Amino acid sequence: MKQAVILAAGEGQRLRPFTLTRPKAMLTIADKPILQFVIEALVTAGIREIICVVGYRKEQVYDYFGSGERFGAEISYVTQTAQLGTAHALATVKDKVAKEFLVLSGDNLIDVKTIADFARISPPAVLVKRVSDPVRYGVVDTEGGKVKGILEKPKEAASNLVNTGIYAFTEDIFRSIGDTLDIPDVLNDMIADSRDIKALETDGTWLDIVYPWDVISLNNAILKDIEVDLGGAIEAGVTLQGKVVVGKGTVVRSGSCIYGPAVIGAGCDIGPHVCIMPATSIGDNVVISSFTEVKNSVIGNDVSIGTGSIVSDSVIDKGCVIKGRFTAVGGKSEVRINGESPAIDVGVIMGEDCKVENSVTVQPGAIIGNYCEIQMLKMLSGKLPDHSLVY
Amino acid sequence: MCGIVGYIGQKRAQPILLNCLSKLEYRGYDSCGIAIANSNLQIYKDIGRVKALEKTLPLVKGTVGIGHTRWATHGEPSKINAHPHSDCAGRIAVVHNGTINNFQELRERLAQEGHTFVSQTDTEILAHLIEKYLDGDFTAAVEKALGEIEGAYTMIAMMVGEPRLVAARKDSPLIVGIGDRENYFASDVPALLDYTSRVIYLEDGDIAVVTANSVAVRSNGCPIDREEHKITWSVEDAQKAGYEHFMLKEIHEQPRVIRDTLAGYISAGEPMADLAGDGGGLNSTLILACGTSYHAGLVGKYIIEKLVDVPVRAEMADEFVYSGQATAGNRAIVLTQSGETLDALKAIKKLKEEGCRVTAVTNVVGSTVTRVADRTIYLRAGPEISVAATKTYIAQLIALYWLALPYAKVDIKKLDSLVMGLRQLPGNVQQVLDNEEAVAACARQLAGYDNVFFIGKGINYPVAMEGALKLKEISYIHAEGYAAGELKHGPFALLGEKTPVVAIVTQDNTHEAVTTSIKEIKARHSPVLAIVGEGDESMAGLADMIVTVPAIDPLFSPVVNSVVVQLLAYFTAKERGCPIDFPRNLAKSVTVE
Repeated sequence: MKQAVILAAGEGQRLRPFTLTRPKAMLTIADKPILQFVIEALVTAGIREIICVVGYRKEQVYDYFGSGERFGAEISYVTQTAQLGTAHALATVKDKVAKEFLVLSGDNLIDVKTIADFARISPPAVLVKRVSDPVRYGVVDTEGGKVKGILEKPKEAASNLVNTGIYAFTEDIFRSIGDTLDIPDVLNDMIADSRDIKALETDGTWLDIVYPWDVISLNNAILKDIEVDLGGAIEAGVTLQGKVVVGKGTVVRSGSCIYGPAVIGAGCDIGPHVCIMPATSIGDNVVISSFTEVKNSVIGNDVSIGTGSIVSDSVIDKGCVIKGRFTAVGGKSEVRINGESPAIDVGVIMGEDCKVENSVTVQPGAIIGNYCEIQMLKMLSGKLPDHSLVY
Repeated sequence: MCGIVGYIGQKRAQPILLNCLSKLEYRGYDSCGIAIANSNLQIYKDIGRVKALEKTLPLVKGTVGIGHTRWATHGEPSKINAHPHSDCAGRIAVVHNGTINNFQELRERLAQEGHTFVSQTDTEILAHLIEKYLDGDFTAAVEKALGEIEGAYTMIAMMVGEPRLVAARKDSPLIVGIGDRENYFASDVPALLDYTSRVIYLEDGDIAVVTANSVAVRSNGCPIDREEHKITWSVEDAQKAGYEHFMLKEIHEQPRVIRDTLAGYISAGEPMADLAGDGGGLNSTLILACGTSYHAGLVGKYIIEKLVDVPVRAEMADEFVYSGQATAGNRAIVLTQSGETLDALKAIKKLKEEGCRVTAVTNVVGSTVTRVADRTIYLRAGPEISVAATKTYIAQLIALYWLALPYAKVDIKKLDSLVMGLRQLPGNVQQVLDNEEAVAACARQLAGYDNVFFIGKGINYPVAMEGALKLKEISYIHAEGYAAGELKHGPFALLGEKTPVVAIVTQDNTHEAVTTSIKEIKARHSPVLAIVGEGDESMAGLADMIVTVPAIDPLFSPVVNSVVVQLLAYFTAKERGCPIDFPRNLAKSVTVE
């Protein structure tokens, strides 16, 4: 297997506010888009030729990955104009693929272990994974290493083996797609046609992201595996402990403490006297002013957080400007999306380019939309739509 | 980043190497060179682009050769330092992409053993090391030489009389192209697509020995079978990374360019300050440039006058050469993205003759301007392919802000907020890009007209001029940029239903005057497209089309407004089906008068 098709056209509606200007695959975990984890896994497994099916906000994918050279890959792009389904997306690359190829989703976080064995299997095949909550996924019924059927989000799961959305196909698949929109349906048709489809189980990483607060738990899970890498200027009197990554051009000022695992991007200005506590990811060109603590959180590019602030268990998207004495600390959340509320403690979920004046406090789990403006001394809770003004 | 290529086969190597190199120019183009084996080794190299080298070359025979194109990130490009490099006897030639860490130690040792070095480069070491180990078997000598090297060493070596090229990959890409009784090497696939679509990707640590009829790859001393790939995509697609044109790709790179440029200045530690270099502070200054850079210079005039409160003149370099005068302070800033613009270079010569201290702002490390100016400030925009400059112009603006800030006569609180504002520009520009569909919709309207006016006032007047220039050069629509208040002194005669006006409305002391101008324009029935800050409701019901940009400090507004006019020009040209990246009659850098 020398070629892979990554489906990265999807929008990720349930991940609002984070998917207003980027596709789901470009959500950032540990300072990398999810799609980068997929591409790095493929390159490490020796698959360099990658076709990305893009659609929703495709420029974000182009701008970050370009021709793939930075990642050791050769990436070409195909546009799926309307996102109708995975099989529909796959059909767009019909004229570009080799005889055999892998198909992966650009918005599930994987590592090389996940696909190392699968990359050698002879198609057609499905990669399956044992999970604790199979009813959220497509449950795969197998017998003797062969797929007997795939049942999408069943009320009761017959097994806890689920479809990872990672497949190995030959060009024959295009004959089976027809007008079918989703790949599991295509596979069920093939099985009904008494064609054999292999099922291979993986115990590698396979993480799905469904709700915005999943960013926090995924970030936490991924940071455990980072390796120390210190660029930038770290002033005297800075304490570094555990696995810490600091990007080039970043200044960490005197008196600051960084307890890993933590990632800080390039060109940031951190401190003096700032505490970056474990499980924190910080993007590029971020300013964190004195006496602020950030813990178990994900901070996007170009964000600035003012002096004396406390941010934990939170996600703050790119471009937000937060003045001093901001408080967002995790706790039990009442906020629901599609009837589901987070299982973990959440501080704030804040969309991009928000402006927050001094001394604003956020109740646990609040979701602030994109481009909101908050005046000073406000207490926020619940869900705020995009472009809200809080006076 | 550098690009390297190699050819061995039946055809004349010279044109093939030059063509392959020109396809790698997106990786850099400040110096280049080729080596071809005949009865002796012939090396031709120089600073400048491949096309320039090509013009100076005699017809060279020989069917084995290697080539190199370079983009210096540090160190000056010069003829001597350009690749390929050779050994003492002039039989072995090497091109290299990477950095040799133990270069000093090896150089000293080799010098003691009697090897003479002509350049300052680490690459030359490789040629001498191979010479040292040469004992009848060229391949073995290369392997032994590489065994001594620490660092990144993707390279290709050749030797007179040897019917083979020996290459190694470490940390930078290298591929082998398979032909019919001929084979190729290149840093990247696009270099080879004119000749073959069959390639082998080398992995880190691989050593490849290639003759006209064979390819043998070894890893850790053992032969290994690297699979052949068939390339199905075209050259252009790869370099444009998904985009239809380089121009749009480069417009989209701007948030990153601003971030990189700022990070470079901030981490440099020293303030870029001290324009004079003599601690004398910033007095009156002259800014010289041509074309788009001139418009950046005009914005620079407003920036410095506003922040530093000293008089600044911005002039066209070409005009200055004929009739300009330096300022009393004898300081000048010269902007040229390529560093080779002849008019700018001539202006510097004149300035120097008059005893001026010149600070150059350029995107190309080691370009001519860096050698004639007293001081150089680099942009970090990376190679720009599209003829219409976009990202280098934005980087020039950032450099000008950064130049002025250390002298700003403002209180510390204001200075803080200015630095913060500068840091937020990448996000602000990204917001404009995320909203590009709205700009594209307006552009589709503009595309139907033959004449367009752009107006702005104060710091955004130069942006109006830049908008008009961009529209002219890529969409071939006649456009003019005017100061809002000047329109009534003549151009009003041209207004009417068929002459739309693009108005840049800024939330500063010019707001009222520009609004009045727009009302006057509307009275002449011209369609108006207004570019306004978010939350500015004054254009509702007045302008026919409105594009909003993030509401930021008016001092920084030229950055976001410029991105809007760039996008406007791009989508208008696209609607009209123009050859956007290579407009007629224009070249990337103008090196003639």
